[in-house]
Amino acid sequence: MMMWFRTHGLTACVLLLVGLFCLGPVLWQAVTSLKPDQDLVRLPPLIPERVTGVHYDRVLLQSSLPRSLANSVVVAASATVTAIVVGSFCAFALARLPIAGKSVILGVALVTSMFPPIAVISPLYLLMRELGLRDTLVAVGLTHAVYSLPLAVWLLTSFFQQLPKELYQAARIDGCTPLQALLTIILPLARPGLAVAALLVFIYSWNEFMFALTLTASDTTRTAPVAVALFPGLYEIPWGDLAAASLVVTLPVAGLALAFQRHIIAGLTAGSVKG
Amino acid sequence: MIIGAFFLLWVSTTFGCTQAGEGTDRASTTVVFKHGKLSGDGRVLSDLLRDFERRHPGLLIREELLPADSDRQHQYYAMNLDGGKAPFDLLAIDTIWAQEFAKAGWIAPLDEVLTPTEREDFFPGPIEAATFQGRLYAVPWYVDAGVLYYRRDLLDRHGFEPPHTWPELARIAKLVLDGEQDSKLAGFVWQGKQYEGLMCVALEVLRSNGTDLWSGDRDRAEYGLRFLRETIATHGITPLSTSMADEESTRWIFGEGHALFMRNWPYAWSMLQQEGSPVRGKVGVIPLPAFPGFRSAPVLGGWMLAMPNNSTQQEIVRELISFLTSPDTQHRIAMELGYNPVRRALYTDESLLELRPLLKDLYPILLGAKPRPVTPYYLLVSQAVQPEVSAVVVGRRSPAEALGIIRRRVEQIMGEQTSPARLGRS
Amino acid sequence: MTERSLAEIKKQNGTIHLSERAWGYLFAGPAFILVGLIALAPITAALWLSLRQQLPIFGIDAFVGFQNYLQLFEDDRFWAACRTTLYFTVLSVSAELLLGFGFALLLSRLSDGGGGGLRWAHVMIILPWAIPTVVSAQIWAWLYQPDYGLLNYLLYAAGITEGRIDWLGDPDWAIHAAVVMDVWKTTPFAALLLLAGLKTVPQELYAAARVDGAGTWEQFRRITLPLLMPVVLIVLVFRTMDAVRVFDAVFVLTGGGPGNSTETLSIYAYKTLFQTLQFGYGSALATAMFVLAALLSLLYVLLLRRHVQESA
Repeated sequence: MMMWFRTHGLTACVLLLVGLFCLGPVLWQAVTSLKPDQDLVRLPPLIPERVTGVHYDRVLLQSSLPRSLANSVVVAASATVTAIVVGSFCAFALARLPIAGKSVILGVALVTSMFPPIAVISPLYLLMRELGLRDTLVAVGLTHAVYSLPLAVWLLTSFFQQLPKELYQAARIDGCTPLQALLTIILPLARPGLAVAALLVFIYSWNEFMFALTLTASDTTRTAPVAVALFPGLYEIPWGDLAAASLVVTLPVAGLALAFQRHIIAGLTAGSVKG
Repeated sequence: MIIGAFFLLWVSTTFGCTQAGEGTDRASTTVVFKHGKLSGDGRVLSDLLRDFERRHPGLLIREELLPADSDRQHQYYAMNLDGGKAPFDLLAIDTIWAQEFAKAGWIAPLDEVLTPTEREDFFPGPIEAATFQGRLYAVPWYVDAGVLYYRRDLLDRHGFEPPHTWPELARIAKLVLDGEQDSKLAGFVWQGKQYEGLMCVALEVLRSNGTDLWSGDRDRAEYGLRFLRETIATHGITPLSTSMADEESTRWIFGEGHALFMRNWPYAWSMLQQEGSPVRGKVGVIPLPAFPGFRSAPVLGGWMLAMPNNSTQQEIVRELISFLTSPDTQHRIAMELGYNPVRRALYTDESLLELRPLLKDLYPILLGAKPRPVTPYYLLVSQAVQPEVSAVVVGRRSPAEALGIIRRRVEQIMGEQTSPARLGRS
Repeated sequence: MTERSLAEIKKQNGTIHLSERAWGYLFAGPAFILVGLIALAPITAALWLSLRQQLPIFGIDAFVGFQNYLQLFEDDRFWAACRTTLYFTVLSVSAELLLGFGFALLLSRLSDGGGGGLRWAHVMIILPWAIPTVVSAQIWAWLYQPDYGLLNYLLYAAGITEGRIDWLGDPDWAIHAAVVMDVWKTTPFAALLLLAGLKTVPQELYAAARVDGAGTWEQFRRITLPLLMPVVLIVLVFRTMDAVRVFDAVFVLTGGGPGNSTETLSIYAYKTLFQTLQFGYGSALATAMFVLAALLSLLYVLLLRRHVQESA
């Protein structure tokens, strides 16, 4: 470790600055979440003199946030799987198969993700209500999958295009169907791309507020950001509880990012076949 | 493999939940009660609803919460009520929405719930706000009004009485600030962010000068707006940060002992009196000041209960509204949640006054509180006016200029009730 | 590969007689169906609505053609919101791209050097983005609080500022405060994509360049940048789209104030749709926002097309 610091002194300094920029606000949130209510708006001291677990107690044991976290996991996971599966097939077709109007398809994909959600929310909500999907996790998961599909398709298309054409052609000559070629040859090689796309979709779904707020109505379907929005009262804002809740909501994604990181790196070393 | 597992998880949890939910629905009559999150313990209301259920076997009341943020609630209600297929049977609405929802034909008249004589028991302001074309469209549930908080200890130390007029407030604040020499102390904090709260403050100041934002004497209106700006710019009694302040940020400043006067709603009282609060026992509440020769003009706030036009359970919903606004329930909500009841008789109730002595001081204020302009077009007007008042607060527009725009714009909105072709223009 | 050899493959397979093209449609089909139902249908509905005048409180619901769009031209508040949106977009997207590039290069250098903390460095950089926008807007509102916020306290303690800066209440600061929050929140998106792109650059190219005597900057300009152009394009397009539509972040921070100085198009459209209930005009505003995003994206594609084609 010492050696590393000596050789990477400058990098370490830059890293420290970057870390301060990225983590500073989160750390401050952590500090806030440990302060008793009376000390919340007292500054200085920078480091609180008294700490309390009362906010975490309220958030984890006395609210519906844990249930909402579980909902969020289901929604984000199913949205990710749907978007990545559907998206990689579509992206592969766009990257390697001779279908007509590729640029039109990519354009339409962009259009759908370019349209402001606030204008779509009303018709979408009415559609889901007609389909009988109001207040179900399916509605939220499906919506998140579809609205992140364009990003997934764009990303994966660009990743597939970077893999050498010859790989696919060789697989076809060996007698693979396009399906077999995609599943056995292309996808394993595109793992870093898949991991990045999956992470992006997951985080989008985890964070999305407006659709989730509108499509859900009860504790059994509410996702985590919506549950957090339920903490403030008409006038009063419980900052301590909010701070604790926001950390609790962020933690799973941080863990996931850590896990995915491994995949991104592993994918790079395993798939280092260059054209 | 992993993918398959995820799909199984998805299918099982989502469809599993839906079926379970529908299963319980079929077993009985269900009434869905949609409302914003209440302050305090949500179980108080749940208990009340369970009581009601016990009196009506086979009835199930499902509460569906919305965030307390009233913009989001308005959005949700508009989306659902327009088209007449709202998936709820009872909803809680802000006082300023009653006219709009009634005009749009979204909510049903509730005249039978409250007979005209029974309406006498309520405060007049909310009843006025809920009455559209002679019919009652919502029943007031709890009320609010703007009040002035002051620091009794600071006034005592400098030998002042609480102010009754705005100029007096400014003068006292300046003298106390000079005397205290505390750089952290502010004289007067209020809600100056560009949002509905600013509308309330502006209306209170202008109406207490015998005028109004878009009608009434123009010079006095200009004077009122200038007073707001001058608390920041020339008197120096209001911190710059007021231009982004909402109820909570003013309560923090005042609650930390860093302000002499504060305009706020009554909710702040119990928080200021909490164990460990630096200003505990040092705070007084009085009616908002007025300009010399005029009366204090607090703005009315609060929420009401209404029923969507398409509800299939009209009978039971009316009964439920009746129950939630009955003297007993109002008493309980006031005792346990600290909400200001809508029935005037409760303000002399001994058991209630013992627990919440502030109600005695609030009574005359709530009695005189005036609703924001009672018109279906209030939100159109408010959205057009807010940016202008906010611009005055931060010194981007002169009061005269802003008032000119406000009055022109409002006239346009009101004038185009018959042909509202160009509402979007500013 | 020629058409003939493909035909032979088909014969060899025997069982499945689908053409490449048919496979293509089969693969792309599910995406079409989903997007068509869940995304295109509501969008079509919104576009249709923008051609109507729908005002429930006036009891009006009529087809008016392009009247709503014509009205946009006379609407000063719309043009002001356009300017605010463009200003926000240009500032935040360019800052995000530059910072994101910096982060990505830093991380890729770290992974060259190894070190156990590498994974944590990644997570650290991703973290702001993993926080739901509604929550991070509140975090920043808390930091920006002029009297009790950390930012003013630190600046004052470090002797940089004399008095308190009213970050959100001062019309000159407010929009920039929103930009800083957005940059903090979404730089990770750019960084992550650019990092993934960096990984695909073959190391041999650098080795060859070094043999030719190219310096670090030269390598970056000649190899890294051109090869990364497709990713840069994606980052630019998707970040611009999000910035043009920015809503929750600014809405929670300022609500459009003070004096409308931070009112972006989406906030104006939101208020028009859901506060003042002008459904038709609000939809027209949203469509205008979409057109703005589309124009900007087109601009990027036109500007960067040459680079993208070169590297492809």
